[in-house]
Amino acid sequence: MSDSREDVKIAAGAVVCVESDIRGDVTIGARTVVHPKARIIAEAGPIVIGEGNLIEEQALIINSYPENILPDAEDVEPKTMSIGINNVFEVGCVSQALKIGDNNVIESKAEVGRNVILSSGCIVGACCQVNTCEVIQENTVIYGSECLRRVQTERPQPQTLQLDFLMKILPNYHHLKKTVKGNSTPARS
Amino acid sequence: MATLLQPEKVLYLVRGEKKIRVPLSQLYFCRYCSELRSLECVSHEVDSHFCPSCLENMPSAEAKLKKNRCANCFDCPCCMHTLSTRATNIPAPLPDDPTKTTMKKAYYLACGFCRWTSRDVGMADKSVASGGWQEPENPHTQRINKLIEYYQQLAQREKLERDRKKLARRRPFMPQAFSQHTIHVVEKYGLGTRLQRQRSGAPISALYGLSLKEGEDQKEITIESAQALDEVEPLPEDYYTRPVNLPEVTTLRQRLLQPDFQPAGASQLHPRHKHLLMKRSLRCRKCEHNLSKPEFNPTSIKFKIQLVAVSYIPEVRIMSIPNLRHLKESQVLLTLTNPVENITHVSLYTCEEGDPDDINSTAKVLVPSKELVLAGKDAAAEYDELAEPQGFQDDPDVVAFRKSNKIGFFIKVIPQREEGDVTVAFKLRHDFRNLAAPIRPTEEGEATSEAIWLTHHVELSLGPLAT
Repeated sequence: MSDSREDVKIAAGAVVCVESDIRGDVTIGARTVVHPKARIIAEAGPIVIGEGNLIEEQALIINSYPENILPDAEDVEPKTMSIGINNVFEVGCVSQALKIGDNNVIESKAEVGRNVILSSGCIVGACCQVNTCEVIQENTVIYGSECLRRVQTERPQPQTLQLDFLMKILPNYHHLKKTVKGNSTPARS
Repeated sequence: MATLLQPEKVLYLVRGEKKIRVPLSQLYFCRYCSELRSLECVSHEVDSHFCPSCLENMPSAEAKLKKNRCANCFDCPCCMHTLSTRATNIPAPLPDDPTKTTMKKAYYLACGFCRWTSRDVGMADKSVASGGWQEPENPHTQRINKLIEYYQQLAQREKLERDRKKLARRRPFMPQAFSQHTIHVVEKYGLGTRLQRQRSGAPISALYGLSLKEGEDQKEITIESAQALDEVEPLPEDYYTRPVNLPEVTTLRQRLLQPDFQPAGASQLHPRHKHLLMKRSLRCRKCEHNLSKPEFNPTSIKFKIQLVAVSYIPEVRIMSIPNLRHLKESQVLLTLTNPVENITHVSLYTCEEGDPDDINSTAKVLVPSKELVLAGKDAAAEYDELAEPQGFQDDPDVVAFRKSNKIGFFIKVIPQREEGDVTVAFKLRHDFRNLAAPIRPTEEGEATSEAIWLTHHVELSLGPLAT
């Protein structure tokens, strides 16, 4: 199975910087911004990223093999990692969760394990590590050094303003990866 | 930085009312008594109150009126962080024309750490940025105020009776027409409360702070006694069977930060105004001189008077510890820093047998017997490239290196116990020139300040034995 860059499908309207490291079978939706030095690595299966996501520098989204299984074992099925819309992966976070819903925020240096399923509106606070095997309820906030939790009444707002700004500014300073179909990069101002 | 320097490994003994062992960075030095003082043997006085987030100064009377809380800043009831005000645009109908809508700004409080917002507890967005937020009223305020007034009156009455008895006993020939007004006057010129409180350990009675203001009416206030009810509201039927909604239950800390209400549910946690912090000044109890007096301005971190021990007493620090083995002699490298500008002579002594201060040491120590000389601290030394060699003759067995006002020297440690941490203690004797001595008429040729010798008891904890 070749991990060639042709397997990366970037929809029209997405802004993906050339300096980002994308390997494997990755699909990126429209209006998603991937900063330079972000890493999206699909080792053990494809990754599908939805629309309107914001993936900042040094964020690591990795679909890796579970630790006790060798990469060459035969009975390992490739599981697809799916990420919904309007999520924010802040600087330096590590996400291995197989299923992420919409409107979630993973703050700086947070780590989300493979067996966690983030539903919608969840916020994993800075430096919090969530390694449990569970579905996190909607609108949960995980914060603090002891990873305390509480439930919000409303989901975090989608970062539309920030996304618009970045989609205008990033092409001025970075080369972008080519998108699959339709117009390539948005018009330069 | 504190973990790099590890100051808690070197403890100095303070001989106050209690014997306290503290790192030198937490001690003060009274240069009038020439003794070390710790936080427990000084009296603390409040200088000023200020809010930690908006840095607003507040006089003590105003602070007392507002119950020591800031008027503008709020605390998150969930994580106790400071709340910030955020604005959103909401469409609102114009007052003239109800059909058209215009964007108006609505403000709400939000916490940056745990993402709590004021909308979570149902507080409506306000149209003004500050000043619109109210704390919920305590339903028992009226009863509490009435009780306080009643007890204030009671305290005043008791005080008058006590004074009357005291005066009646002391001066039996006093005229009978001794008016109440005169008794007040005597009390007014009596001992102030501050001096009374300075006697450490003197108990402060519970009704101490309550006193009626001068000239207030002595009308009788009666209170109804609290009534015990026989019937109590029954528990709801599903109290034992209903599953607990864990995110909704408040933690003890969140609950007790609001003692008025102590809400059990997170949806009733309202934000409270932020607590004020205070700046304090420290005063030596024996000679009544100020040891530490900060600046009045909350934005300034400097001090008007700062008599900290680190700027007067040479500081011992542990530089390197070899593997320590039971009953084997090893060399530990220590450094000694001279904080003052003139040359200091330091000599070290081992603690004698049966020294009452030496209770923690688990190893024998051999200190250098010769006197160590430390050069003065020269602030301009780092800019002076052609610094002359200091010309001190150092014994290489004792002094490892010398660098401006610091030397490294060896001590020999012989652990006496097979297990546990190794702790050693020794006495440090150095000369101290008191620049604060009162100006006396000096004779010709006499030194302006005399040196006195101070001895401190130092304890080092060198960690566990090497396995």
